[in-house]
Amino acid sequence: MHKLLEVKNLKKYFETKNGLLHAVDGVNFYINEGETLGVVGESGCGKSTLGRVVIRLLDATDGRIIFNGQDITNLKDKRAMRKEMQIIFQDPFSSLNPRMSVSQIIEEPLRIHQLCNSDTEMKSRVSELMDTVGLASRLADSYPHELDGGRRQRIGIARALALNPKFIVCDEPVSALDVSIQAQILNLMMDLQEELNFTYMFITHDLSVVKHISDEIMVMYLGVMVEKCNADELFEHTLHPYSKALLSVIPEPTIRKTKERTLLQGEITSPINPKPGCRFAARCVYAKELCSQVTPELEEIMPEHYVACHYVKEINGL
Amino acid sequence: MANKKNGQLRDIWRRLKRNRLAMVGLVILILIVLVAIFADVIAPYPYDLQNYSDVKQWPSSKYIFGTDNFGRDIFSRVIYGTRVSLQIGFISLSVGALVGSIFGAIAGYFGGWVDTVIMRFTDILMSIPKIVLAIAIASTLGPGLVNAMIAVAISSIPNFARVVRASTLTVKDQEYIEAAIAIGAGNSRVIFRHIFPNILAPIIVQATLGVGVSIILAASLSFLGLGVEPPTPEWGAMLSAARTYIRDEWYMVLFPGLAIMITVLALNLLGDGLRDALDPKLKN
Amino acid sequence: MNDKDKPLLSVRNLTIHYITDNGVVKAVNDISFDLAKGETMGLVGETGAGKTTTALGIMNLIPNPPGKIINGEILVDGKNILEFNKYQTRKYRGNVASMIFQDPMTALNPILTVGEQIAEVSRYHNKLSKAESYVKAAEMLELVGIPSERINEYPHQFSGGMKQRVVIAIALACNPQLLLADEPTTALDVTIQAQVLALMGDLIKKYGTSMVLITHDLGVVTEICDRVAIMYAGQIVETGDLEAVYEHTKHPYTKGLFGSLPRISDKTSRLNPIDGLMPDPTNLPNGCPFHPRCPDKMPECESRVPANTEIEPGHFVRCLLYE
Repeated sequence: MHKLLEVKNLKKYFETKNGLLHAVDGVNFYINEGETLGVVGESGCGKSTLGRVVIRLLDATDGRIIFNGQDITNLKDKRAMRKEMQIIFQDPFSSLNPRMSVSQIIEEPLRIHQLCNSDTEMKSRVSELMDTVGLASRLADSYPHELDGGRRQRIGIARALALNPKFIVCDEPVSALDVSIQAQILNLMMDLQEELNFTYMFITHDLSVVKHISDEIMVMYLGVMVEKCNADELFEHTLHPYSKALLSVIPEPTIRKTKERTLLQGEITSPINPKPGCRFAARCVYAKELCSQVTPELEEIMPEHYVACHYVKEINGL
Repeated sequence: MANKKNGQLRDIWRRLKRNRLAMVGLVILILIVLVAIFADVIAPYPYDLQNYSDVKQWPSSKYIFGTDNFGRDIFSRVIYGTRVSLQIGFISLSVGALVGSIFGAIAGYFGGWVDTVIMRFTDILMSIPKIVLAIAIASTLGPGLVNAMIAVAISSIPNFARVVRASTLTVKDQEYIEAAIAIGAGNSRVIFRHIFPNILAPIIVQATLGVGVSIILAASLSFLGLGVEPPTPEWGAMLSAARTYIRDEWYMVLFPGLAIMITVLALNLLGDGLRDALDPKLKN
Repeated sequence: MNDKDKPLLSVRNLTIHYITDNGVVKAVNDISFDLAKGETMGLVGETGAGKTTTALGIMNLIPNPPGKIINGEILVDGKNILEFNKYQTRKYRGNVASMIFQDPMTALNPILTVGEQIAEVSRYHNKLSKAESYVKAAEMLELVGIPSERINEYPHQFSGGMKQRVVIAIALACNPQLLLADEPTTALDVTIQAQVLALMGDLIKKYGTSMVLITHDLGVVTEICDRVAIMYAGQIVETGDLEAVYEHTKHPYTKGLFGSLPRISDKTSRLNPIDGLMPDPTNLPNGCPFHPRCPDKMPECESRVPANTEIEPGHFVRCLLYE
């Protein structure tokens, strides 16, 4: 398997009035070409920041980003890289320029990279893209505010596809959509992946969506990765106490409840100037003294199943 | 595509039409512009024709606004004055708007020390009363139509810089700007193609309201003898020349004064209406 | 019928339209349902289905203009609240019925302490003195799991989940009989959502409050509701107890909703979304509003609006297939 993207000890800190905010704090992972890595976590866990750092919309504080064999962490001329790495945003309302028509929005990347030699070529490329994402060609001259959320999200996808990227960061692309539309968009994204061999980094807070679309899943909590493994494996053998709690509280649309609920006490603590130790210790039911003193390292507990927890073996009886 | 663009404009126009006062302002403004264009046709006499047998005539059927101390027809001078005043107002304001908007957009988009330098400089400009600033510039450059316009233009820069910077800051954080950067757009493309079209509304409003201010400023400069030179029929200059006669021949100040007032009022009414019509919060 | 079986809330043929420049928005079209004392009903639907308008109607808070109640009645304890005068309406809101809004960030006044905002309600409705109302406010805070020492703090000092708890405390301060919760947990993270849902469940059980829970999430319904009503284009298309709707799903739209959901317990590789889009509420299709998207469409669907049909006790479906 070809590693398309590899991230080593990536850190992103923000200066705030109250101190240094550790949005992403030493994350390691890789994504194989043609696969989907799901990144799950609650608000403030740094998943969106991670997605933006990876495609250099934000500069990393420390660590390395290797894309297709090239270290892009400090790349100055990002034009070529932008063609390869794209992003689909969460909010289909704010991610489209309200003063541009649908065709203008999709043309924009083609114009910037001068990918078309004539207006006719541009036109046919735009209508081809609209067709790919399932937008009727009569909408070419519409403005975003005239369209519903699902169609707007399709425009965002077409814009990302225009450059023929290899890698796409999907930042909660279906969270703002209604369920019936959400399913349409998820199917579209999976079809496109199959057809064009895209590699996705799929960021979401919705565990059922992430399970549906991902090959690998990483669970983030306050800027650190707490668990990473194959998607099915995560749901079969959930090892980290936070992942367990997260999984147990998803409201499933069925009246036949099988799982035991673990209600977490308290809320996410602040990522500003975090103390050493496990970030989850304050809310963890298994926390002992060691947890608030030493930061747990990510360990391979089962084959290809990584967990960052001091007591993972005891908790799971391994 | 033209159709849809018109669709957006039509929405704005529909909202504007509902605002009676703004429509009154617009109609008056159109009339004033027509008067400026057709001044040669409307004015019964040349603006500089001195008729010494008819000096300081009160308004009558022959001279409907009366004549001044040189026997010139005040009605004709007010009509021609429309040209001069509108010219000063619009040209100086356009220059000020352009320069101010670019500075404001740069300050807002890049932030950091660029922002600090530009905004502190505009702070300094703003801390000086407009008229004092304009007088200082005009007296340095010397009197004259062009210099007056330069003075007015410079003094309108800070307002635009501020408005545009504030709007840029809000637009900059929208995801579509991030999207533009993500598809590889450079800074100037982001500013001019993605930010500017979205902050046009406040610029237009500021400009409409600003033209009025500029006309008053230019008139004030002329009143103080720093603007256009006689015999050019500028409203402020006319007021200045007539002020000696304000006790007895008050009609001499009344008509140029009314002209300034009506023009500025019309612009303000329209500006307020445009602000409401363009405000996206009132949309839908 | 004894008193216990008499519904607390009974909505009959409610029709609410918004009259705008761009046409008449048919937000709620002829809906009827009952809610028993102490019962919780989930009102599920997608954006624009008319859920919030229904709740605002029950609170008698429809903004007029542009909103207009075209037809129907809303009976609470047998009295039609739409015929209340100003004074009765004010008493009704807060004392009898109370509403929790979706966004806890904007539902609280940023310049008043949370204690004052809770106390204000009971001062106004129960005519308590200032000191009494603060004692009550402290009680309410403890009740929703916030230490009463935080009574003098301002909303910005609370996190999203805590703010929603404050909103719940305000809504329950007058011990209302009927609670309308409009997407109360949508803005919250799942772990916090679970906490808030558990809290709401405990409180309504404790006080015997009836609740209408508005949500787009079929999962949330199962956590807390006894019954569920599915809304589409201003109509309730299917309603019944959870087992009826979740296990014996009848209406094609409800089936479509379930098919659209990715599930953790399933291993399906593809979802089965409903084709097409929600109809424009200013221009609803004739006949059954779902017919343009319906996989089981019959010719008759284009012309006739289906009636509410009881297919098994307590399970109503609005579809010609079952008439």
